[in-house]
Amino acid sequence: MILLLPSPTEASPTETSRAPIELAPVAKKEFDESSVTGAGARVERFERDSLPFMDQLYGAALRMTRNPTDAEDLVQETYVKAFAAFDSFTEGTNMKAWLFRILTNTYINIYRKKQRQPFQTGTDELTDGQIHEAESHTSRGLRSAEVEALDHLVDAEIVEALAAVPEDFRLAVYLADVEGFTYKEIADMMETPVGTVMSRLHRGRRILRDQLTEYAIDRGLISAAPTGGRA
Amino acid sequence: MSCGNPHETPCTEVLSLTYLYIDGEIDEVHYLEVKTHLTQCPPCRDTYSAEILLKAMVKRSCEGAAITKARRARIAAELRQISITYLD
Repeated sequence: MILLLPSPTEASPTETSRAPIELAPVAKKEFDESSVTGAGARVERFERDSLPFMDQLYGAALRMTRNPTDAEDLVQETYVKAFAAFDSFTEGTNMKAWLFRILTNTYINIYRKKQRQPFQTGTDELTDGQIHEAESHTSRGLRSAEVEALDHLVDAEIVEALAAVPEDFRLAVYLADVEGFTYKEIADMMETPVGTVMSRLHRGRRILRDQLTEYAIDRGLISAAPTGGRA
Repeated sequence: MSCGNPHETPCTEVLSLTYLYIDGEIDEVHYLEVKTHLTQCPPCRDTYSAEILLKAMVKRSCEGAAITKARRARIAAELRQISITYLD
């Protein structure tokens, strides 16, 4: 096996909280044949496959926790857990989805409990019929010209609007729109049926759209009294 | 909202498929129905365009987040540390 890793000496020498002296021998192991089969190879393979996703995981963690330090802690926790569970990862399957699943799980089980937010259950199921009804009777959809006006909002405003969307809905929207995961993948990550993912997406997008519309009206980007009328 | 013209697939049905379509989750039969409908119905086409634009806006606004170099290094160091524990 050829080692494709960046030098492990990149690991910060300033990280001294735990037995820093032992970092050096491990670093040397990069060129040690014995590392190919041992724990050294394991960490190297894990790093090679997982570290490229760190910024993407951080982006999601930031949308979950809405706080940079908590997001970094969450990403770190995710990597520790993923490394511990690495043997259960099937090589050749989707590493990114696997990592996001651990991230989501960690967030739901640890951070949300810390924040003492009750888990949202049962209330976000929509039947197909209800979705269909919502389509025909709720407020008119935005016109594309209005969305183009919304496009003049700065990214920070869109991020702020997204942050105001209730958690489960926000997460579903993020995973679908930003990371492009399939409904099935999101369902696995959030440990819910696909139908629940769909209704979360549906509600999340509605709330986000209404929020953005409010911002745009406040800034005079679109008119408060649309000429198109209601359906 | 409808253009008032009769369609093979009603506007309400097409609109109910918006998210499945833009998320790439729609099956082939419905995909073709929607596609045909959208070529004939400007209001539905406009609604679809709006949702596609919104989706793209969300993606754009969230991209480019980067964890700090310091934390990246801390995580790498922690993994090395755990690895040593495995060896012992």
